Amino acid sequence: MARMAQPKADLLQGTLDLLILKTLALQPAHGWGISQRIQQVSRDVLQVNQGSLYPALQRLEQQGWIDSEWGISENNRRARFYRLTEAGERQLAAETENWERLSEAVGRILQTA
Amino acid sequence: MNGIRTLRLGMRSLLHRDREEQRIDEEMRFHIEMQTAQNVKRGMSPAAARTEALRAFGGVEKAKEQVRETWVTRRFEELVQDVRYGVRSLRKNPGFAAVVVVSLALGIGANTAIFSAVHSVLLRPLPYTQGERVTVLRQQEKLAGVDDVGVSALEMADYRARSRTLSGIAEYHTMTFNLVNLVRHGAPERVRTGVVSSNFFDVLGVKPMLGRDFTAGDEKPGAVPVLVLSYEYWQNNQGGDPAVIGKALQMNDKAHTVIGVLPPVTQYPDTNDVYMPTTACPFRSKPIMLTNRSMRMVSAIARLAPGVPLARASEETAGILRQMQHEHPEDYPAAQGFAASLISLRDELTRGARPTLLILLATVGLVLLIVCANVANLTLARQVSRSRELAVRTALGADRGRLARQLLTESTLLALGGGLLGLLLAAGALRLLVTFVTRFSPRAGEISIDGTVLLFTLLVSLVTGLAFGALPALSRTEPADALKEGGDRAGSGGAGLRLRNGLIVAQLALSFMLLIGAGLMLRSLLKLQQVDPGFHTGQVLTAGLDLNWSRYDTEEKRLDFYRRLLPRLAALPGVTEVAFGSTFPLNDSQPWTNSLRIESRPLPDGQAAPRVDMRVASPEYFTTMGIPLLSGRTFTQQDDAKTTAVAVVNRSMAHRFWGSQDPVGQRISFDAGKTWKTVIGVIGDVKQYGLNHAPSEEAYRPLAQVPLLGGHVLLRTTGSPKALESGLHEAVRAIDVEQPVFGIRTVAEARAESLAPPRLTATLLTLFSLLALIITATGIAGLIAFSVSQRTHEIGIRMALGAVRGSVLWMVLRQGAVLVLAGLVLGVAGALAFTRVLSSFLFQVEPNDPLTFLTVIATLLAVAALACLLPARRATLIQPIVALRSS
Repeated sequence: MARMAQPKADLLQGTLDLLILKTLALQPAHGWGISQRIQQVSRDVLQVNQGSLYPALQRLEQQGWIDSEWGISENNRRARFYRLTEAGERQLAAETENWERLSEAVGRILQTA
Repeated sequence: MNGIRTLRLGMRSLLHRDREEQRIDEEMRFHIEMQTAQNVKRGMSPAAARTEALRAFGGVEKAKEQVRETWVTRRFEELVQDVRYGVRSLRKNPGFAAVVVVSLALGIGANTAIFSAVHSVLLRPLPYTQGERVTVLRQQEKLAGVDDVGVSALEMADYRARSRTLSGIAEYHTMTFNLVNLVRHGAPERVRTGVVSSNFFDVLGVKPMLGRDFTAGDEKPGAVPVLVLSYEYWQNNQGGDPAVIGKALQMNDKAHTVIGVLPPVTQYPDTNDVYMPTTACPFRSKPIMLTNRSMRMVSAIARLAPGVPLARASEETAGILRQMQHEHPEDYPAAQGFAASLISLRDELTRGARPTLLILLATVGLVLLIVCANVANLTLARQVSRSRELAVRTALGADRGRLARQLLTESTLLALGGGLLGLLLAAGALRLLVTFVTRFSPRAGEISIDGTVLLFTLLVSLVTGLAFGALPALSRTEPADALKEGGDRAGSGGAGLRLRNGLIVAQLALSFMLLIGAGLMLRSLLKLQQVDPGFHTGQVLTAGLDLNWSRYDTEEKRLDFYRRLLPRLAALPGVTEVAFGSTFPLNDSQPWTNSLRIESRPLPDGQAAPRVDMRVASPEYFTTMGIPLLSGRTFTQQDDAKTTAVAVVNRSMAHRFWGSQDPVGQRISFDAGKTWKTVIGVIGDVKQYGLNHAPSEEAYRPLAQVPLLGGHVLLRTTGSPKALESGLHEAVRAIDVEQPVFGIRTVAEARAESLAPPRLTATLLTLFSLLALIITATGIAGLIAFSVSQRTHEIGIRMALGAVRGSVLWMVLRQGAVLVLAGLVLGVAGALAFTRVLSSFLFQVEPNDPLTFLTVIATLLAVAALACLLPARRATLIQPIVALRSS
């Protein structure tokens, strides 16, 4: 069983949420599509743990940041499509800024060390 | 917004459970199919592609479970599941459940009971309308050392006229009447009567339950005499008949019409049978009482005007007294140091009970802590034996939080069960508790289990459940270890064992502190019982008589009554001596003091006259009570109204005023020199007000020269004092058929009753600390037994390798010994730090009394040794071959 290390779960959780929101900001997608897109765009650096993708989607939907509805996929199958809500856009902006501040700070520390 | 959305989604998941299940199902199936298709595109065979897709997904069921976890209703479903599972698992282990529930019930029950007393007596508002505004107006003579000098009628009038901060001031004094009770077949009754101003119940904040309150008209001179009955008197002595309103009761030969009945409330200042307006009291109505400012015979209560703080009203009251002093200096000798203040009635009613109740609350709190630690220990032990079950559940996908919740649910179930049983225990003990608290506060009758107490019990149960459930829930078991062969031992080593050892040490330390507290109280009680009271208690019966003051209105008539009664009593079979006294030692009577002057010793200017206690006694009093004569003589039949006025003083009084000189022959005065009495003898000191009180200075006067309206007869007998009871009643009836007798008891009983408060407190503390000791002992025994069972294999090997029984026994005992010693050290430190709070309860015992400490250490060691030895013996009986085969 490929499991994430427990102690880092929170950090990764938050990161996954951010990646999902960013992906959906470009266009609505179904779960599979989201995982594929993250993988492609990150050039296979980021592998989405698919087992935790759906709980994350469910949580984001409960937060009101994304919405979902049934649609038809590119291969003509019924699939659940997710899209960003307005609240989700705001959240994405906030999270992005947060992330940039954090990575900038970490980067600075790494340069000086 | 968010909340509503969550709720909506929550409702969706609740109402459309199946649809939601279908949705995850479909979504995940879609995902896997897409992944499989991609894998095929990359050149895998369809079968391999699907396997790889599933692997990448990482456990479909687990993912579904995680999605379900996010549903709101999920929590509720889990709770129901946990409760069901918990009940099932507890039923599989009824012994464990029973031990836990019973020990929790004892702990929670004790806390509920004591809290109900604390809540009802100390915390709840007084049962009067806006009771927080009721105050006691008290005048003191600070320099003369008199706490309560009373208030005179003229002073009452001044306070009423001048106060702006009080909405009402009422007066009160008490009297006894004799009544022939027709409801009870003409039995003579002594009726305790509160004599009050017509606004008394208004100021106190009590409305009659039946009939009406007094009106100003009832208090006018010449008004028809009226009565308000207390609820208890109405119920017990007037048959609880509502038709009592309008009935006339014959009290001291005069008819009084009942106009009202009080509800069942705590009465203040005293618990009375009936109330009547001031004009019905002949003493209070005497001209001298109405015109002399110094005749301070009543007490006063006052109600604060709305919005006025106590301090401001008290200040104003003190100011009014200063004005009165200025206007009437002759009535306020500067040397006496007059002062006036207001005291909150609530403080007045609860002061006596506060220290005892708080000590008890702390004690039961500690007992509950010990119970918690013990139950946590039991739960940890059970968890070790369940570790395989828990590991299997972890391996099957239950996450740690979920398992912890499951364990907490079980502990909460147990705690609620314990709480419920504890509540029943507390309800059962409520009557005993009321009897106990009655010794400390008149509010004892208000003790009940109300909503607040129920809430308290619920909260305590929940917190208890969390407290003893959290430790096991947090201590983790690694599934891999637990599943290994011999995994039963998983939790017995390392952190788990340290935690359990720590709990035992804490229990030992707390139990030790409780035992020290109880031990100190017991030692103190023993000391009290050994106090020489200055009199003999053996075989003396006493009875109270309050003469009808309208019938016995002259000294002659009263003396005649006593002269006829005492010989009749002396003639009763077995009676060797009969005496009469205003009171007798340890009778719980109010002090009666007078100022003292000694002839040819003028009082220095500006100095208050000293006060001494006054007693009246017949000549036989001293021999009947066994009070020794130290010098001169006691009274004889010749000391009467026609001969020299005489007095006998006690040793303390002689010592204080005459030092080593003999006071016999000296003359003293109790009325500022108007009349003089000759001291004829000195007698020994007696403990009048309590065995823990220093003797007061007492002067005795002969009954024949001071024929009181009431007092106590004393009958010394060679037989059983109680056998004299009917003869006593008959003798009184033969002289006056309407004369009631009250308070029949022996002097020994009075002495025992005077020790009731410390004895009851010591008994309760002892019970609680023994409970703690027993619980702790079972905890130690359980831990040792557990570790023996865990180490059976090891012990078997040791014995197979030639270890002798003794060394095995010692190996096991050593574990216990270390814990016990650690507990003792902590306990001694804790006791030294905290027993100081008991100081005010102790009599001639220091809070760090070495004897108590040594005794308790020995007791605890003995009990702990026994608790270790029993299970340790089992270790020595292990057969190596059986032990080795067992795993």
